[in-house]
Amino acid sequence: MGTISNAFSTISGALDADQSALNIIANNVANANTVGYTRENATFQENDPLTINGVSYGQGASQAGPTSVRDRVLSERIDQQQQLASASGTRVASLNTVQALFTPDSGSSSSGAGDIGADITSFFNSFSKLEATPTDNSLRQNVLSTATSLAGDISNAASSLNAQRANLDQEASGVTSQVNSLTASIAQLNQQITTTSPNGDAGTLEDQRQADLSQLSNLVGINQITTENNGLSITTTSGAELVSGSTSYQMTSGSVSGVTHFYVGTEDVTSGLTSGGGELGGYLTARDVDIPNVMNSLDQLAYSVSTQVNSLNNAGTDLNGNSGTVVTNGVSTDTNSHDIFAEPAANKVAGSALNMAVVMTDPDMIATAAFGAGTGDNSNAVALANLGSSQIVTNPTTGTSETPTNFYSSFVSALGSTITEAQTENTAQTASVTQLQTQSDSLSGVNLDDEASDMTTMERSYQAASQVFTMINSLMASTINLGETTTVT
Amino acid sequence: MRVDPYYVSNLSGALDQTQLSLQNLTSELSSGVSVNSLSDNPVSAGQNVVLLNQIQQDDSFTQSSNLVTGQLNVADSALGSVVTQLTQAISLATSANNGTMNASDVQSIGNQISGILGEVMSLANTSYQGQYIFAGTQNSTVPFSTSNSNPSQTTYAGDQGVNYLDAPNGQKIQLNVPGSQVFMGSGTKSVFGALNALVADYSSGTVNTTQAVADTAALNTALNYVSQQRVTIDNSINQVTAAADAVTNVGTELTSAQSNLMQADFSQVSTSLSLSETQQTALEDVIAQLGSTSNSLFSKLQG
Repeated sequence: MGTISNAFSTISGALDADQSALNIIANNVANANTVGYTRENATFQENDPLTINGVSYGQGASQAGPTSVRDRVLSERIDQQQQLASASGTRVASLNTVQALFTPDSGSSSSGAGDIGADITSFFNSFSKLEATPTDNSLRQNVLSTATSLAGDISNAASSLNAQRANLDQEASGVTSQVNSLTASIAQLNQQITTTSPNGDAGTLEDQRQADLSQLSNLVGINQITTENNGLSITTTSGAELVSGSTSYQMTSGSVSGVTHFYVGTEDVTSGLTSGGGELGGYLTARDVDIPNVMNSLDQLAYSVSTQVNSLNNAGTDLNGNSGTVVTNGVSTDTNSHDIFAEPAANKVAGSALNMAVVMTDPDMIATAAFGAGTGDNSNAVALANLGSSQIVTNPTTGTSETPTNFYSSFVSALGSTITEAQTENTAQTASVTQLQTQSDSLSGVNLDDEASDMTTMERSYQAASQVFTMINSLMASTINLGETTTVT
Repeated sequence: MRVDPYYVSNLSGALDQTQLSLQNLTSELSSGVSVNSLSDNPVSAGQNVVLLNQIQQDDSFTQSSNLVTGQLNVADSALGSVVTQLTQAISLATSANNGTMNASDVQSIGNQISGILGEVMSLANTSYQGQYIFAGTQNSTVPFSTSNSNPSQTTYAGDQGVNYLDAPNGQKIQLNVPGSQVFMGSGTKSVFGALNALVADYSSGTVNTTQAVADTAALNTALNYVSQQRVTIDNSINQVTAAADAVTNVGTELTSAQSNLMQADFSQVSTSLSLSETQQTALEDVIAQLGSTSNSLFSKLQG
């Protein structure tokens, strides 16, 4: 009798275990499309045997609970690659808006509008045309109008760059609040995980923590350090602590001379974040490295063209016989009275592009003649035209001097290459994320076919257990009635 | 081994890629431009700036050369007229010098030469688009004027300035000859000196033959000298024409180089487009096949 009771309890335990396994399958199927869900396996566990009259009987199986199928190393690799990919993706997007300012001129007359390269050519060509007839008023007027286009296009490009930089600044500072809410959530999950499951996988809680980590990796570059009791410490890639156990540390932002800087506690982590990764890294790289580089080149171009053209125009004689140069006791002084462009402050290259403008209004003041020569002389016009093919612009990266056109040409090539490099980098990183994600999904993702097959197995197992139960039940009835079939059915 | 259960949805990512490539190719075909942004081809974009600069510089030189040719032609025809006038003056002087004419005939010749002097004076003061072409670089003031003394004196208000045009090939083309050099050369080379002297010689009706012959010879020398100066102008005209032709030829090459650099290669783009289309259709078929619910084990189990 004892063993029949034992069989009863064994088989009802099996029914429980199978139901529990079916529950786990149902949960998997329900979460098949849940982002961050890790599939769970039912774990059957053999019960301790029972000894009756010196004979050991198995006590069946019970359900040890669902186990998440997870690879933490893989998850961390995905997060790391995600940080790189989202940094380069953000940078590419920012650079694409930058390069829209420098669309290549295809050569048709309409496409040249707004093209700085075409402006440079037209401006210096306007002096070449004056070589033929230096006194022609319409050609003189042409010098001023091409100068206005050049200055206008350069300063427009500079102000657009400033606006883009301000936008990036804005977007970067918007990231902090998202980072803070994620780190707070991770800290809270840390605490729950440490309490509920210090030694094993915390299942759903851990899924949530992993989802938060993925989102955080989209935003900033982080390091993850696993601590005791299944906790997790998070620092920025430069080492500033964001989460330690159940405590999170707020990232704050503040303006330093018009530019947003980022702090954890009192430490300024801006430069660490710039190279760190994530969207924030991308924004900051575009804001603090790429756009300043472009601006620097434009400044250099504007500064060199403005100062050189001004100085040469002041050195000659205009249509009225006047000159921007005064000779006193044999010493020549540039009075800047015949400036074509607003003269930048001495050696102050920064800001030259934004401030580039034409200040000359009277075309008669263009000094086509050499100093002291007749007003019909063209030698200063020749010299001014030759500036266009002289190496007057210093390339900030190579340190060599180039002609304005070659300088602009290397500038657009360099900008284009930077973008192509960033795009290639981004493509490779995204591919790597996809690959890792596929790897991770093949391990942790819910495969409905698998679940269907598992479910069938469990269904059969449950049916079998029920059959056994029914059989034992009728056996038990027979035993109670001792052959009398009427008492218990 | 387990596979990624989301492989069908990942295929839609590939579909996005082919659609992007279709879009790019279509826009290349419709615009005819292959480099729409710097990152499409940074090297081409850079070279394009330099090529366009050269093309536009050449265009600008072609325009300048037209202006300059006009001015040089005016100078050339003025000097041609001067030569004609001077030749006539020499023949008049020669006839007056042979001693067969009476006083009134001589005076009449003096008057005719005086007329020629006036004619040459106005030719020397020729202007082109408001600028005096024989005034050196002082071309806004009338270069030559005559005093009323006897013999008359001609003075030059211009200077010795010479303008040059820089051709793209580096040639410096002389654009003008200063009036003083053409008409008032030193000693016997002076046109106005010789003409003024002859007018004075014949004004009284009695000819000092020795002096008049010497002055006629001087005018002849001056005439030759004017012809020499005219050669300078003619050379410049030839140089400008040659340079403009060269620039036009180079311009054609540059334009074709620039087109090769920036324009879409239609046959290549069309081929890529058709490949991308095939790829897209294939992907769509695969997705439709794999994504159909009848492929799920659940649906099989139901039956």
